[in-house]
Amino acid sequence: MGQSNYMSGEHRRDDAGVAVEKAQENERIVLAIVAGDQEAEQSLVLQYLHRIRAMLLARTRDPDLAADLQQDVMVEAICALRRGQLREVEKLSSFILGIARNVLNSHFEKATRQPVSLEFPNDLPDHVAAMDLVAEEQEQVLAARAISALDPVDRSILQMTLVEGLKPGVIAQQLRLSPTVVRQRKVRATRKVANLILKLSQNNSTTHLSERVVR
Amino acid sequence: MTKCTGSLAELNSLPYIEGTLSAREIEQFEEHYFDCPVCLARLQAIQAVGLELARNPIALPAELEPRSRLGWPVWFWSAGAISAMLLVSVFTYKRIEVRPGKPTGALSQPQSPPQTQVPSQPAAKPVHLSQLADLTLPAFRLPNLRGESLDAHFEAGMKEYTNGNCSGTVAALAQVPAESGEARAAAFYSGACQMHLGDYASASQLLRNVANAGDSPQQEAALYELAQIALVGNDPATANAYLKRTIALRGDLEGKARKQRRRMTALTGQGNAVEGKNSEAK
Repeated sequence: MGQSNYMSGEHRRDDAGVAVEKAQENERIVLAIVAGDQEAEQSLVLQYLHRIRAMLLARTRDPDLAADLQQDVMVEAICALRRGQLREVEKLSSFILGIARNVLNSHFEKATRQPVSLEFPNDLPDHVAAMDLVAEEQEQVLAARAISALDPVDRSILQMTLVEGLKPGVIAQQLRLSPTVVRQRKVRATRKVANLILKLSQNNSTTHLSERVVR
Repeated sequence: MTKCTGSLAELNSLPYIEGTLSAREIEQFEEHYFDCPVCLARLQAIQAVGLELARNPIALPAELEPRSRLGWPVWFWSAGAISAMLLVSVFTYKRIEVRPGKPTGALSQPQSPPQTQVPSQPAAKPVHLSQLADLTLPAFRLPNLRGESLDAHFEAGMKEYTNGNCSGTVAALAQVPAESGEARAAAFYSGACQMHLGDYASASQLLRNVANAGDSPQQEAALYELAQIALVGNDPATANAYLKRTIALRGDLEGKARKQRRRMTALTGQGNAVEGKNSEAK
């Protein structure tokens, strides 16, 4: 499951340079946040919001809850960075991922739904909501187009899998197919819609999913 | 960023979303896609499909209706057999009718014409939303802060309510004065009881008053109960509108309302839940 499984040596060398640049950029952002720079906070939100949302959505399977919690994660991350709690700048991603996991665990344990540092900053930039609206609308359009390109049976399989959370055995019974066929069609359909969405988003620069993250 | 081709996401995104990866695998995958925009984009694409399907569920293809339905050969032969029996009956009846003097035996008994016609096609089972309606009595919640005194009639009514006596509740709550602080709560619980007793018109009236009176501890529940009444009446447009209003309040019933709306949309097909009659709830 390690990254090395699919990365050639040449790629690793390229990645080393990219990693250095990324570390420098992270260091700049972190130091600026400590110094009270709100633009740096904005950059942080832009950089991490979608990763956090993807993680929370996968773990909670509830888009509304994920949207609520992502706000908590961003607030807590910015507060922690303002206090200078990140010691190793190269571990910024892990630091934020850790905060996201803590917020999620706290939510499930019902210990608290608010960030621990309750000095809720009034001056926190509110980019989250605006970004979400635009991004969600774009994703919605692309996803609808990709779904419409699927065979009706594949659409049903994806709906039963992704929305209703049914296992292949149950889907197979309902659709009068064998579980193996359901598994195969599920994997193929997932790959097809994902590829189509990525292709469509590349054609439209404003909706390129990965580009949105790289910015 | 990285030169990752996204194969890790291709392999892991679906099991990750489905929750079938081990804790260790989840951590590794998260650590990876937090730093890999290619894998993140693929994961997001699959999540977007899930969200879109949840928002706009698709109806099951006609050829894949549930197994419980009879296949065409069964219908064909059943319909044929019934038609043949009817033809024989009618033919025999007419033959007996044209011979007035003869004893007719059992067949001379007055016969009623066949009541039902054999359908040439299997009739589609009508979709009735009442099966989705949640008609349980809502739990009693104090309408004010603990320790504050309540109207005596309200207290009496709620004693009946907690004992499950809906008629007694309605009778007692009818005595609560309109100017009392508990009047709105009284209207809500009366409405819930009327609904439970099957008097949907009275229930709707009371619950609408509560729902439309503005912000109150009972507003969300009133909207939800109104949606249940609309479901009983097989009115998807009104039910949908009330459920949407319930969800918009983001309260305790949001999750239930969302789930019910999804089920309703799945049952009626995408369009029916939104189109249909002019909704009274809008």
